[in-house]
Amino acid sequence: MKNKIWGAVLPALLTGLLAVASSAAHADRLDDIKRAGVLRVAAFDSNPPFGFVDPKDNQIIGLDVDYARAVAQSLGVKLEVQPTNPANRIAFLKSGKVDLVFANFTITDERRKEVDFSTPYFASGTQFIAKKGTLKSPDQLNNLRVGADKGTTNEQQVRAKYPNATIVAYDDTPFAFAALRTGNVQAITQDGPKLVALLARVPDKENYEIPSFTISNDYGGVGVPKGETRLLDAVNATLRHLEADGEAAQIYDRWFGPKSAAPLPRLFKIGDPQKSS
Amino acid sequence: MSGFDWLSTLRYLLLGPFPAGPLGGVALTLALSATSAVLAALIGLAGGVALAMTRGIAHLALTAVVAFFRAIPVLMLIFWTFFLMPVLLHVDVPGLATVVCALALIGGAYLSHSVHAGIASIGRGQRDAALSLGLTGWQALREVILPQAVRVMMPSFVNQWVSLVKDTSLAYIVGVPEFTFLANQLNNRLMVYPAQIFLFVGVVYLLLCGSLQWLANALLRKDASAYGSKR
Amino acid sequence: MQTWLEPKYFAWLEQGLVVTLMLSVGAGLCATLLGFVLAIARTAQHAAIARAASLYVFAFRNSPLLVQLLFWYFGAAALLPPDWMTWLNTPHAVAWGPIALRWPSFELFAGWLGLTCYTTAFIGEEFRAGMRGVSHAQEQAAAALGMGRYTALRYVILPQALRIATPPLAGQYMNLVKNSSLTMAIGVAELSYMSRQVDTETFKTFQAFGIATVFYVLTIAAIEVALVVWQRSGNRALQRGRA
Repeated sequence: MKNKIWGAVLPALLTGLLAVASSAAHADRLDDIKRAGVLRVAAFDSNPPFGFVDPKDNQIIGLDVDYARAVAQSLGVKLEVQPTNPANRIAFLKSGKVDLVFANFTITDERRKEVDFSTPYFASGTQFIAKKGTLKSPDQLNNLRVGADKGTTNEQQVRAKYPNATIVAYDDTPFAFAALRTGNVQAITQDGPKLVALLARVPDKENYEIPSFTISNDYGGVGVPKGETRLLDAVNATLRHLEADGEAAQIYDRWFGPKSAAPLPRLFKIGDPQKSS
Repeated sequence: MSGFDWLSTLRYLLLGPFPAGPLGGVALTLALSATSAVLAALIGLAGGVALAMTRGIAHLALTAVVAFFRAIPVLMLIFWTFFLMPVLLHVDVPGLATVVCALALIGGAYLSHSVHAGIASIGRGQRDAALSLGLTGWQALREVILPQAVRVMMPSFVNQWVSLVKDTSLAYIVGVPEFTFLANQLNNRLMVYPAQIFLFVGVVYLLLCGSLQWLANALLRKDASAYGSKR
Repeated sequence: MQTWLEPKYFAWLEQGLVVTLMLSVGAGLCATLLGFVLAIARTAQHAAIARAASLYVFAFRNSPLLVQLLFWYFGAAALLPPDWMTWLNTPHAVAWGPIALRWPSFELFAGWLGLTCYTTAFIGEEFRAGMRGVSHAQEQAAAALGMGRYTALRYVILPQALRIATPPLAGQYMNLVKNSSLTMAIGVAELSYMSRQVDTETFKTFQAFGIATVFYVLTIAAIEVALVVWQRSGNRALQRGRA
């Protein structure tokens, strides 16, 4: 019995050593993707319209998925979507389970130490959603219980700017919204566009409102593993190309345009200069 | 939701996006628990035998390792294998494998403990008799002690398997699309039926674990009666 | 390679440990009492009570704790009338002299409830196994002496049953501490939740999970040591003829 175990462990160890040795060679992630014929991407599965499950065929669709598909097409490979929540994004990327992260991934200097970012393709700001009439000015936040998503910049910003607020972090936005609905928290925080889209889909939307103030200016980019410069360049080239031939505007229109569930004017184009926070 | 929607939603919960995507849902839950159970059984047998046969430092070290895996919460071990194993081994480990690894290690630790206790419960007399008949230590173990010990330990194995089925739900936290994960995804989409959805999930697990236990008991009873009649 | 965690983050982990311990002790006490009641209900002479207790055990032992917690947090919260929910969510404070008790947050309450219901099923079974472990002759002897069922239970069966059940009971308490880690899924700020939080903020995965693991192992070891001490004292008491 013990021999059987060693018989499995030894080859595994050898494979591990070989993998280390081969990674020291010059094959990089872009080559691996092209060789495998598959681009693995992490996208949200419960955050319309960035990434969510289409009830008709149970596939993940959304703005982020459309961008990911464009990148996969430009590389000439298939797209494979790994559903994720904000807490698991970086872990998926760093552990090599996905090649790119297309999940409304806000660019910050802290994160830049762990991952590389593409040129930003989406702009937003941290906003709040609360039951009607409860939240009128940002100073009230210091006395409230605020729900946030674990691993998001929204959570960190509220913690930094309103230290007396009680922050309860959940694994994903729908969790936080359920907490808001049951009264467990008085407000939840997320990117403005996400909240607008969330509110549009909620069955009892007349009970909630999004106060107009934002507490930050954020830019979302594609998460790329650190050091994969060729992959990063390929992604950036695709994004700029999408903007140049109008496809980026079309993608935006499909999810945030006047005929969508939650229309929002497009204020940021790929390549625009960034405002400081 | 119309009748047609019910059916496709149910199919999604049972199979995941398969065949248009990887296997998920209840099918994945069963696959995960079956794989972990087999691996845990192997590790448990190996560990239990090792515990019974070693002395001194090796025995102490093994006891410490088993104790460690029985003291760590399953969730923490899943975090370790999921987040750190790929970084440490520089090998791309698919999410499924990390969860199976964590479950197999913990299940294996518990089973090692049970196997060791089972072997110890077979009186010394059996081992001495086997040795006096000229069998080596290993032969005594394989031909005389283990067959009797396994019979004593079967309930432990069954309990561990039932635990494993329940523990696969933890894979939800690291994004593996098994049953609990998909049900939660559905709840996120529908938003207003949380009680019904989670009640349904609970009932399905009840059926899975209950039938597993019933099946195991039925097989054990048949085996026991056959053994009894052969004497 | 990587430095130690800053004191601020270490303090987060310590807070998480405190919540884990509080949750485990709270759920453990309630589960022990209720498990006791459950075990007696299982062996009741009334068929309906015995069957209801069996159903409880079957339902709560064969569904995952995670699903139960999600149900209590989301499902039950949606089913309860809104007035109850408002009451459960407002912080009530009761001051008894120097001690001020605050009503816990809803996720802590739901976590405690879920853990208690789950652990009660297991502890009930351990008590029942303990009662079965007491030889039937004891029950018969008690009856021969004219003791009623409850007198026999109280003075003869239960003391012996408790002694038999204590090691497995300690095992269930250890499981309880480990299971408390699941409450992170409903937002309870216990140790696993905090270790994840520290990891997402500092990216020092190894340190965050390492320290949390050490805390868990130490807690489990403490319960183990307590059990061994209890067993030794039990044996010594027996030898002195006082048991």
